[in-house]
Amino acid sequence: MVNAMIEVKQLHKSFGSNEILKGIDFEVKKGEKIVIIGPSGSGKSTLLRCLNYLERPTSGSVKVEGQYFVEPQNKFSEKHVASLRTEIGMVFQRFNLFPTMTALENVIAAQVKIRKRSKEEARKTAEHYLNKVGLAERMDHYPSQLSGGQQQRVAIARALAMEPKVMLFDEATSALDPELVGEVLKVIRELADEGMTMVLVTHEMKFAEEVGDRIIFMDNGFIVEEGHPKEFFRNPKNERTKAFISQVEHPENMVAH
Amino acid sequence: MDVLNNLDFATAFRALLPDLLGGLWISVEATVAGFILAVVIGVLIALGRLSKSKLLNGILVVFLEIVRGTPLLVQLVYMYYVVPLLIMLVVQFWQPSFQFTFSPFLAGMLGLGINYGCYLSEVVRSAILSIDKGQTEAALALGYTNRQSMWSIVMPQAIRNSVPVFGNYLVMMIKDTSLLAFITVSELLLRTQTYASQTFLTIESYTILALAYLVISLPLAQIMRLLEKRLLKHG
Ligand SMILES: Nc1ncnc2c1ncn2[C@@H]1O[C@H](COP(=O)(O)OP(=O)(O)O)[C@@H](O)[C@H]1O
Ligand SMILES: [Mg+2]
Repeated sequence: MVNAMIEVKQLHKSFGSNEILKGIDFEVKKGEKIVIIGPSGSGKSTLLRCLNYLERPTSGSVKVEGQYFVEPQNKFSEKHVASLRTEIGMVFQRFNLFPTMTALENVIAAQVKIRKRSKEEARKTAEHYLNKVGLAERMDHYPSQLSGGQQQRVAIARALAMEPKVMLFDEATSALDPELVGEVLKVIRELADEGMTMVLVTHEMKFAEEVGDRIIFMDNGFIVEEGHPKEFFRNPKNERTKAFISQVEHPENMVAH
Repeated sequence: MDVLNNLDFATAFRALLPDLLGGLWISVEATVAGFILAVVIGVLIALGRLSKSKLLNGILVVFLEIVRGTPLLVQLVYMYYVVPLLIMLVVQFWQPSFQFTFSPFLAGMLGLGINYGCYLSEVVRSAILSIDKGQTEAALALGYTNRQSMWSIVMPQAIRNSVPVFGNYLVMMIKDTSLLAFITVSELLLRTQTYASQTFLTIESYTILALAYLVISLPLAQIMRLLEKRLLKHG
């Protein structure tokens, strides 16, 4: 039994000469909910995308359930990376639903193509998860016929239908109109309550505090501070963390320089 | 108005029409076969051009320039008369008794397919490039390999978005089948030419020929418009 679901060691990522991640170490335990916060451009998305190898780290390692994406000394194998990715669901800021497929087809596609389930089984599973995210009535709609909040819920169902062991959320509600944020957060919260292991990047601080087991604050490519939500928000230690929290909680106090 | 009085459409219609129906069928066959080949070639060249291989890219660019820089007529003549000779010469190194020709129709289909494939490849390539990167990322995140994501997520969308442009090329190809007359395919133009030169009913013959092309291309254009509307309804 491996306790660490995700294990990240000395992760570095550069784009050209621009180093975005400057040595990240952390672990996600089974069932744990990690929330990553930090200013825009600090490398949160890049880190999350390294966790399923959508970005290839420049150096360092990522393990999922004890398995490396790329064994040290070994060559990159696309097949192996792709098969590990099926254990990790990802939800994007901009949904990225397949526009030519209905909601149901979106949720069925990868189950059949990648998980090799039969059409009937995939359909049953898809209906189950669409039902779970509250879209039983909208299964036959195309993404263009759904609101942003509905689209994001389909995207969550699509990821869940693969029955992953971890879910990654990259600002899942940032592209939504304010009145649609709640319905998506509700679905994520239910998932958290069921014990799903999750890593979330979000700007919803209240949600982070309520759902997270641990908060990680990133700035400028480093993990600056991490801790239990209550402790972290009541009593931040680092100056930059303090500044960030007060800026997010009281944007009206920020003076433009 | 002597000229008009001398026109004899009735005779021309009676004599030419049955003959043209056969030619029409050949033109349609050549177009269908040629266009399917063109789409296959277009997709393959587009993928080659998007591959990371510099060598493959270089070869394809040179090939595209040659095909687009020379007339289709010349290419058809080459395909019919020269390409079989070249194939024969090469194979005869091993097998001196080897003989080889293309039927006119096969040469025509290959020539049309390759020529149009080159133009379609650019359409497909830019359609692929215009698909949101998020589509590929979503597929990869679900466990698709790059190849699977290209073939089952990106390519279908790219092809769908290309349908309106494909439609224009399809109508153009129908008209370009007239060039097959030069490599002795007994299609519409050749049959019309033969009849016109025998009877001197030139105006009548070519007017009927023009109508014959319209009979195919007008409904086709209409079908493409309907298809386009259906396809573009979502996303
Ligand atoms: N594919 C890329 N190529 C070049 N630079 C990139 C790429 N992706 C992200 N970056 C850069 O990395 C930095 C961090 O980006 P990101 O991880 O998206 O930050 P965050 O999610 O915290 O806002 C930004 O400055 C961004 O411009
Ligand atoms: Mg981001």
